[in-house]
Amino acid sequence: MKKKLQRLLVLMPLLVGHLIFAQEKVVTGTVTDSDGMPIPGVNVVVENTNRGVQTDFDGNYSIEASVAEILVFSYLGFASERRAVETDDVLDVQLAEDAAALDEVVVVGYGTQSKRMLTDNVAKLTSEDIDEVPTPSVQSALAGKAAGVQVTQTNGKVEGGVNIRIRGVSSIGAGSEPLYVLDGVPLINNNESNNGAPTNPLLTLSSNEIESIDILKDASAAAVYGSRGANGVVIITTKKGKSGKASLSLNYSYGVSEPANLRDWLNADEYIELFTEAAINTYGEEEGLAVAEENFESLANGTNWRDGEVDTDWQDLIFQNGFVQDMDFSVSGGDEKTSYFFSGAYNDTKGIITGNELDRVTARANVSHRLTNKFNTGLNMSFSRTNIDRIANDNAFVNPVQAVAQPALSPAYLEDGEPNSNTLYPNFLLQDKYAFYNTLVRRVTGRAFAEYQFFEFLKFNTDFGYDLYYQTEDQFEGRLVPFQATNGEAYASSVATESYVTSNYFSFSKTFSGVHDLDVVAGMEYNNTNRRFQDVTGIEFPTDDFQTIESAAEITDGSGEETGNSFLSYFARATYAFNNKYLLKASVRRDGSSRFGSENQFGTFPAVSGGWILTEENFLQDNTVLSFLKFRASYGQTGNANIDDFASRGLFGGVSYNQRPGIAPNQAENPLLTWESVDQFDLGLEYGFLNNRISGEIDYYLKESDGLLFEVPLPGTSGRPIINRNIGLMENEGVEFVINADIFQGDFTWSTSFNIANNDNTVKSLPTDGADIITGQNILREGEPISAFYLLEYAGVDPDNGDALYYVNGEDTERETTTNPNEANRIVAGQPYAEWIAGFTNSLYYKGIDLAFTFQGEWGASIYNAGGVYQSANGDYYDNQTADQLDRWQEPGDITNVPQARFFGANGTAQSTRYLQESDFIRLRNLTLGYTLPDHIIEELGLQNFRVYFSGLNLLTITDYEGYDPESTSDANQGTGVSFYSAPAARTYSIGVNLKF
Amino acid sequence: MKKYRLIFATFLIGIAFTSCEDELNIEPAQEISTEVALSSGENVENILIGAYEEAGQADSYGGDIQMLSDLYGFTNEATWRGTFTQPRDVFRKNIFVDNSYVRDIWLNGYEVINQANLVVDNIELVDEEEQDNIAGQAMFLRALTYFDLVRLYGAPYEAGQENSQPGVPLSLEGVIDYSGNLEIPRNSVEEVYNQILEDLNNAFEMLPASNSFFADKYAAKALLARVYLQQGNYTGARDAANDVIENSDHSLTDTYEEAFNNEVDSDEYIFAFQVTTQGGGNDLVLHYAQEDLGGRGGDITVNPEFIEMFDSETDDRSSFFYESDDNGETLTSKYTNQFANIPVIRLAEMYLIRAEANFRLGTSIGNTPTEDINVIRERANANLLDNVGLDEILKERELELAFEGFLIQDLQRTMRPVGDLEYDDERLTFPIPQREMDVNSLLEQNPGYGQ
Repeated sequence: MKKKLQRLLVLMPLLVGHLIFAQEKVVTGTVTDSDGMPIPGVNVVVENTNRGVQTDFDGNYSIEASVAEILVFSYLGFASERRAVETDDVLDVQLAEDAAALDEVVVVGYGTQSKRMLTDNVAKLTSEDIDEVPTPSVQSALAGKAAGVQVTQTNGKVEGGVNIRIRGVSSIGAGSEPLYVLDGVPLINNNESNNGAPTNPLLTLSSNEIESIDILKDASAAAVYGSRGANGVVIITTKKGKSGKASLSLNYSYGVSEPANLRDWLNADEYIELFTEAAINTYGEEEGLAVAEENFESLANGTNWRDGEVDTDWQDLIFQNGFVQDMDFSVSGGDEKTSYFFSGAYNDTKGIITGNELDRVTARANVSHRLTNKFNTGLNMSFSRTNIDRIANDNAFVNPVQAVAQPALSPAYLEDGEPNSNTLYPNFLLQDKYAFYNTLVRRVTGRAFAEYQFFEFLKFNTDFGYDLYYQTEDQFEGRLVPFQATNGEAYASSVATESYVTSNYFSFSKTFSGVHDLDVVAGMEYNNTNRRFQDVTGIEFPTDDFQTIESAAEITDGSGEETGNSFLSYFARATYAFNNKYLLKASVRRDGSSRFGSENQFGTFPAVSGGWILTEENFLQDNTVLSFLKFRASYGQTGNANIDDFASRGLFGGVSYNQRPGIAPNQAENPLLTWESVDQFDLGLEYGFLNNRISGEIDYYLKESDGLLFEVPLPGTSGRPIINRNIGLMENEGVEFVINADIFQGDFTWSTSFNIANNDNTVKSLPTDGADIITGQNILREGEPISAFYLLEYAGVDPDNGDALYYVNGEDTERETTTNPNEANRIVAGQPYAEWIAGFTNSLYYKGIDLAFTFQGEWGASIYNAGGVYQSANGDYYDNQTADQLDRWQEPGDITNVPQARFFGANGTAQSTRYLQESDFIRLRNLTLGYTLPDHIIEELGLQNFRVYFSGLNLLTITDYEGYDPESTSDANQGTGVSFYSAPAARTYSIGVNLKF
Repeated sequence: MKKYRLIFATFLIGIAFTSCEDELNIEPAQEISTEVALSSGENVENILIGAYEEAGQADSYGGDIQMLSDLYGFTNEATWRGTFTQPRDVFRKNIFVDNSYVRDIWLNGYEVINQANLVVDNIELVDEEEQDNIAGQAMFLRALTYFDLVRLYGAPYEAGQENSQPGVPLSLEGVIDYSGNLEIPRNSVEEVYNQILEDLNNAFEMLPASNSFFADKYAAKALLARVYLQQGNYTGARDAANDVIENSDHSLTDTYEEAFNNEVDSDEYIFAFQVTTQGGGNDLVLHYAQEDLGGRGGDITVNPEFIEMFDSETDDRSSFFYESDDNGETLTSKYTNQFANIPVIRLAEMYLIRAEANFRLGTSIGNTPTEDINVIRERANANLLDNVGLDEILKERELELAFEGFLIQDLQRTMRPVGDLEYDDERLTFPIPQREMDVNSLLEQNPGYGQ
């Protein structure tokens, strides 16, 4: 991206210049920084001409110029220097670092802008923020780094879905994921998993090839992406070659991982104690004992439970020590005309859950070439191959984590070493041994681009981008797998989604009268996505050695389908600055999409914003304390078109009954269905003190999502359970606060960055007279946060008899309690999304030693444990229980929250707030400690850089939440904020080395 | 050079701004619109096939209706041992309003009804000679579904009474326009039964005498016998059952065992839902069978109390059980093939209905009650009885039809208690599903389930 700017600068000079060069000669010199280090890639331009060069790797340049001509030296992050050519042939220049460090360049879509002049809210992250975090997911590495950006990995599976919420959830039924744009190509981001749990489609990205990630948070920034910008836009820019000598860098790291948290479960003795008591409470002394002992006998599977022969720690079998191995290389370089960047990376991750692994190879080549000084063209190309060994979704008996339900009395293995098949629940070890589920994702993403500079002020860009996501899944279940009754079963699927996009736009940039800066971008884009899917299921295999469909004696299921969508867009954006002080911006995008009915096929998304840099005013210009102050305000409209391709239509699909074809309705029609539109207002203040040693920004925003797309439940009597509707209004209101400080500078440097954001989500209006919409444990109710928990209120235990009590919460009976859950009324009892999120990052450096760490915190959310009715049910059923159930009521007067143990007694097992808990946490998300060898040693070794480091992920978690993990929820679509035997995150310790030649 | 440049630039801009609005018209490849679906006779017939498929799903006659009807009636005969809490609560006769099985039987039932309604509404599109057959089948499926819904979600039908207690909402026109208010109230039990009788009588008139594995005339008549019996209309029940026995071509299989686990309908099946390796649900095998037969190991286990009810050692039915490899408990052998069809009406039931109705009326239309019972017993190799009374007839029903979804309805029909509960206890009627109460303000909840 720096490179891009440099190109611009090179092209800036006017065509018309001095025609006579009387005393032309060659001027040479070296450009250095204030420490005397050479700076490669500095633009050296003869003012008012089109002659320009760049410094080489050692900071040297050579240019033809005449005496009295002016050379302009410019480089990003440094103040430009103007020097007149004198008689001397050598002109060495030292560039001073630009005091306004705020002046970084952000990528805003169809162009770049200086952060200083920006009137939008854009958070910028660079490769340093995401490198070296030992996780295969680039998105996970973003957690805690940007204000108002919440990053949550569903649970501890390596391929697990990642949710990114920018400024809260702005949609209910449509997608809430931001749009990802990689080098101008909107990325395919559809979950294509067929085992019930999502995979992260962006796992195919490797962090080593990423230069920067710009997150467009407010509508003014995102509006240029129109109907796809409502959830924010994440712009990923890959690395480019820098001109100069080629450099080769190598990185390697290896880490071990373990679950970030474990829970306490009953051991064999405790299980016997609790369940004997539970059975006696239900059936009486004699019969109860008989029932309990019969159960123990059956669980023990022939072992002697009375003597404690078996005490299986199932949790220990579920989790394993994993590892993360990363290696990558990159080569980059270039000359005046051509720049190149090649990279390759390999990641090998063994998850913390038995049977869960991933490996990935990625490669990239970015090449650009300048044919003439007006015409620049290039190609970015990458491919990757991601291979995942998967385990079942959370809501499957063979989900390894569900083995915590197995009582410790049951042996895990038989004497012959085979997994025990006579367990209470299917033994996942059989699944692990005799079945597999393999997912292979191949991805090719590329962009060819050309750029033609008609005039100094007018440029035309044309891009053609392509993204192919091709995934195959292969599953085989052998004869001994739980529930297998067809002599083996195999499943194979193949899905290919390809998207191509062509963008064509003009960029105009000119300064009028020295004080009016005007930039205009206008163009069009067409994006077409096509998805083809096939799958087939076969049963009856000759032996378990045959595992592909070919050998199936019977094919039982198959499908082949195709779908697609297209977007046609026109966009324009103008930015204007007066005297670098008063800033204005306006943009508009008109989008059409095949996803919406012909009546509503086009939508227009405008935005305006303005800014005022106060420190440019006379009254503040010389202020020594306040070095930068900018106010900005923006308003814009974006859309959310992230719904099924044909969501508005009344549809009938094919079915078969006894091999006869038929059709059945599968979607209720709503011809009025249209975009969700999000109006966002943002007010911001950016500040810098003490020469910007302390800087930051404060933002207030109000985001209204209107016409929310939702699957509204219909009366079942209508024949369809749901309909897609634009049902209402929701509001996200929040503040964001960022402060960055260079606490120490010099030999010992310490810089720190803290961000905190509050988001207040309220459902403002619902259709049908504002009637509640209840889905499972979640409710949409006016005045409450989205998907709030709606549950019976648990009132604890009657000290007299151990009965579980629920508050009636009737109109006149507010605090009355009842033992009958059907008599109690549900209440809104918490919300699944955090109200406060914060990140705190520190970087320290002293004599080659660097230390960086990020804390991340979230407050205000709750998690409903849907597994609670089985796990913590005071001996209601055979399931092993959490250790806290030992604290059950036993005799009158006992004060406890755990009701009397009653086998089959349903004492306290209704879905209630008993299983809801706040999930506030603070987490040491990652920490890196590195050491770089001193320069003289590196030079002797013939290297440019040599560094070793330790890096850790999720090293520490501070929380009162008692479940596995305050960030882990079910991946099996069981409701929002619901956990169900969901694995905790991984804690990883890794060591690595960086080499640069 | 300049010229070349100009041409090139024009070319680039030209392709850039070429309109491609036509590209926005993308049609679904796997689906057709409602308009197309309701525009040809062929598609109307396709919708009927779809209605069979819907009704055969696990949530309905793929097993859950039958299984819950038995679990609701079991006290000592069998036990729900499985891990799922929703069937367990039905077995405990202590159902929460958000029970997902209770919800899904309702939702699936009305999907079937709506599809049947669409067929009836659009029948004039079908070839004239096919119209009666197609509409008759739709009416049969609609009646079958309403009959089970009204019995599960409405208080029991009281013979000879007004039956104004709330049944289930009657939706009799296919819904294709979802833009308006779709709320409808519950109709009385009487109204729902009247609709069922009308549909079945029409279906009987309209359907052919045989119709492959689809519903035929005698399927409608047999169901009519069942409905009349539930209503205590013994004359109607007797005559309908007699018509089926005498005039349909169905016959009992040679052995009791042959009456079950058939991948192709046996002669005994008057109506069955079709299951293949490629389609059709079978939750009965799932919950009644051991794992290597496609079950979950035996969620529903048979207790000695049931087996001891058999009074004849030679009775094949008394040994039609096996021990589960998975939990060591006794399981029924009626469901051991996960790809077998699910019989909804077997001829044996008609003999039992005729016997009971004749006995109650003191008549011998077709045959004497004792002879009819002995037809059933003889096939099962049980010793024959001399002179049966009502108790023997009802017991024979229980032995013959066990685990086929008759228990709670028979107990309530004959006003026998279910364990400690009287036959009309509030707990023996399903709640209206909570999700339905949440979206339809016109619905009245059943007593005992909150407001």
